[in-house]
Amino acid sequence: MKGRTFKHAMAAHCESGTLTALLNHAGLKISEPMVFGISGGIFFGYFESKKFPFPTFVVRSRPGQIRTALARRIGVKFAERRFRNPADGEKELDRLLSLQIPAACQTDFFYMNYLPGHVRVHINVHFVVVVEKRGEAYIISDCYSPELASLNRDSLMKARFAGGSFAPKGFLFYPVSVPEAIDFRKAVWKGIRSASFYMVKLPMPFLGVKGIRMFAQKVVDWPRLARDTEHLSHEIMKINIFLEDQGTGGAGFRFMYATFLREASELLNDRDLLEMSKRIMEIGDRWREISLFAARIGKRRDLGPDRLRELSGLIHERADAEEIFFKELLAMSKKKK
Amino acid sequence: MNTNAGNELNNEIKLLIMEALTINEVAPEEVGDDDSLFGQDNVLGLDSIDALEIVMALQEKYGVRIDDKNQSRFILRSISTIAEFIGKNRTR
Repeated sequence: MKGRTFKHAMAAHCESGTLTALLNHAGLKISEPMVFGISGGIFFGYFESKKFPFPTFVVRSRPGQIRTALARRIGVKFAERRFRNPADGEKELDRLLSLQIPAACQTDFFYMNYLPGHVRVHINVHFVVVVEKRGEAYIISDCYSPELASLNRDSLMKARFAGGSFAPKGFLFYPVSVPEAIDFRKAVWKGIRSASFYMVKLPMPFLGVKGIRMFAQKVVDWPRLARDTEHLSHEIMKINIFLEDQGTGGAGFRFMYATFLREASELLNDRDLLEMSKRIMEIGDRWREISLFAARIGKRRDLGPDRLRELSGLIHERADAEEIFFKELLAMSKKKK
Repeated sequence: MNTNAGNELNNEIKLLIMEALTINEVAPEEVGDDDSLFGQDNVLGLDSIDALEIVMALQEKYGVRIDDKNQSRFILRSISTIAEFIGKNRTR
């Protein structure tokens, strides 16, 4: 892996995209959907807490889990480091680059100033691969950028050592060993089993399919929590952003999961997985309708009780469909593992 | 694709977009095939929600799926880029 020319590629999601790029560079041919699916990245969680200014939801496992679960299931070993002292973090990255070892870094997305200003927000869990150092600038492979980009030292340091929630603390990782033979059948089914289990078997009412139901029930109460119509409209439109815009590959990662199941069906020569792929793709299409519905009513400030009940009904339907889907997938994973 | 068929598809896409977004104040011929559809100087005044609406209309009419934002950013750049994608990937 050392000394090879790094091939930049765009990807749907920064964490799975970064992992895919590093593993491809290390000589392991694997696609982004396969990385996502084996890690069991698909998920749903609805959160209301005093810690958050407004209720929110997630559609994937927590940051970092894609890497750790993938490593466990396919046997790849990553070197990982965090730094208390920014100077140490800089020194270590420079050392790796001097050895021609590209490393993934956790950053605050806001400082990726090669991307247009209107898309950049402060979010501390953006992953990029730092490929090379040229003078005082770093060459970055960012899966949201069509080509390799250059970032100055100050911006990269600010991005790697930004404060706040999920502070990166200079976190970096890179693969140090890739097994010669990987039991992909076992890895795929473990990933499927884990994702299905988390979607339908967790007892907490805000996680998995239960979380989708809670979201459906609670969204009709959002007007009570919002400061005014402007605020409510902003929060309702964020449903679209969370499902479509934040590197989800579309429909809250459901399309990426469908691609994973399709690729897995080809790899394992399993027609059942192809059928499941088609079904989650259709489920994703309906999530996309929710995105559009939320974006439309938010934009038009058409946020009366009837509209929110309609939105709630659409989300309830997704909960029903995903409950059936993941229960079947879980049963399949127990039978075929 | 020959030029006539290409022009026909371009016009069909313009009409589809205008119908999906209920745009009545702009005539299809005012939209150039290579004009940028998004951004400050676009004649249609489209935004990211319109983009999602267009993606769904294209899927329904031509059976093409545009999954993610990175992909749609390039495909929805102009009528020509949409037509090129439809030409290669349509299933209906």
